[in-house]
Amino acid sequence: MIQLNNLSFGYPRKKLLYKNLSLNIQPGSVYGLLGKNGAGKSTLLKNMVGTLFPVEGEIIVNGMIPEKRLPSFLRTIYYIAEDVYVPPLTIKRYKDLFAPFYPEFSEENFYKYLEVLEVSVDGKLNKLSFGQQKKFVIAFALACNTKVLLMDEPTNGLDIPSKTQFRKLIAAVMYDDRVIFISTHQIRDLENMIDHVIIVDNGDLLLHASIATIGEKLCFKTVSAIPEGTKVLYEEEMLKGTSVIMENIDGEDSRLNLEQLFNGITENPAMAKEIFSTN
Amino acid sequence: MNDTFEFKRFALLLKKTIFERPMQLIGLTGLILAAALILYSIVVYTVGWQAAQSISFIWGFVGGGCFLSAAVFGYFNTNASGSAYLTLPASTFEKWLSGIIIAGVLFTGVFLLFYRLVDTTFVSAYHNSLDKNSTDYRKMFDAVAVLPYSNDNNVFRQSMALYVNLAGAMLVGSLYFNRVSAIKVALVYCGVIGIIYFLNMALATVFFNHVDQANPFYNVFIKAGTGVGIIELPSTASKTGELSARFIIPAILWLTAFVRLREKEI
Repeated sequence: MIQLNNLSFGYPRKKLLYKNLSLNIQPGSVYGLLGKNGAGKSTLLKNMVGTLFPVEGEIIVNGMIPEKRLPSFLRTIYYIAEDVYVPPLTIKRYKDLFAPFYPEFSEENFYKYLEVLEVSVDGKLNKLSFGQQKKFVIAFALACNTKVLLMDEPTNGLDIPSKTQFRKLIAAVMYDDRVIFISTHQIRDLENMIDHVIIVDNGDLLLHASIATIGEKLCFKTVSAIPEGTKVLYEEEMLKGTSVIMENIDGEDSRLNLEQLFNGITENPAMAKEIFSTN
Repeated sequence: MNDTFEFKRFALLLKKTIFERPMQLIGLTGLILAAALILYSIVVYTVGWQAAQSISFIWGFVGGGCFLSAAVFGYFNTNASGSAYLTLPASTFEKWLSGIIIAGVLFTGVFLLFYRLVDTTFVSAYHNSLDKNSTDYRKMFDAVAVLPYSNDNNVFRQSMALYVNLAGAMLVGSLYFNRVSAIKVALVYCGVIGIIYFLNMALATVFFNHVDQANPFYNVFIKAGTGVGIIELPSTASKTGELSARFIIPAILWLTAFVRLREKEI
């Protein structure tokens, strides 16, 4: 559904942010794109939607090249930027002006999502708080029913109940030929929501794996002493012992800790590559 | 599905563009019309008819139109609004055409209609106030007339030429400068005009001595003792200048806006 072939991207007068990045995104999954501030997460999303153009290589989304920004492509993809733009319109007026561009838009779902996210439908959008505006944009984007949904830091500005509602909503709107791609540095917000993890740092793709594969390859646990001869990707002293991420040699089931995984992968990319490259 | 132009999609886009930011397009147009009316009213009583018509028409149409043109593609002051505009499912051609129609057709039409209404009202009121039995009646009646929308009228012709150039520059500029584009474009425009003028002056001094002033494509003023002589350039030069100013440069500018919009990144 989304294919990146040897993508190189850089801003003028700066070194390349990505060099020869290749990635294959399959439908039917929620992808979490994780990276530090300035790692190029937003840049990658913008390349996918066609608001930034690659220097080299190609991106193919839904069989089309985003750079051309053709209407037949744009109606299949929705991009939510990190900051929010809402015009000074009422929700109904906004829907009347913008929804006709998206043939799969569902008015019924739109109002349902607004209700779930507890967005006030009275008054003009620009008078709402930042969090309310963000939730409005999320509700509209979900109601557009596009095959690809790209979200850049969607949980920024949301309060704790809204983050929970957001996670529930994402799970509810997922279907087989849809891809939801969420970029964030607030890693905990994505827990129990994503089924694939992509970690980028310094323009490199450090990890691209499903949650199931991560569970097979890595074991997350707290130990009193680190077992000898085991590949330890990450360790952190805790009150009750040492929290570790180790190579999962015995096929143990453990609960994924995204934050620790991110730290382990970014601090120890060579070992991560070694663990994930073995069958 | 046609990815270049579809009438229904274009109509939706035009509607969305106009009503999405009512204050910036409809409100600004209203403000421009009100300003032209106020300017006309003040100048007609303080200076006179000709000045009132010229000043209010030039400042209202050209000055106001420039601000409106700068707002037409003014989505790029934030990442979110720029992205929302670029990713809206309409073609680049449709987005460009909607900008052209708003700045070039709708604003022009609305302004010319409004101005004609104001001008006619003021002129009729003046004509009606004249004493028909006065010996100067015919002379005073003929002294004031509605500003003709015709190429024979210098104010109208020059304003149109100026508008298509400046509005085109504003459209292009708003796609290059994401913030305060109107001011930045005005500075660039003044800079370009200044460079052209002084380059032309330098060129004229190569061919003539004692050059006082040199107007590109038209004439060179030469100081001769205490007087000044004018050397008119061949009519082909002035015709080329006129053609460039009225058609070629505006066409380049308005088409550049399309190319820039197609390549716009944010």
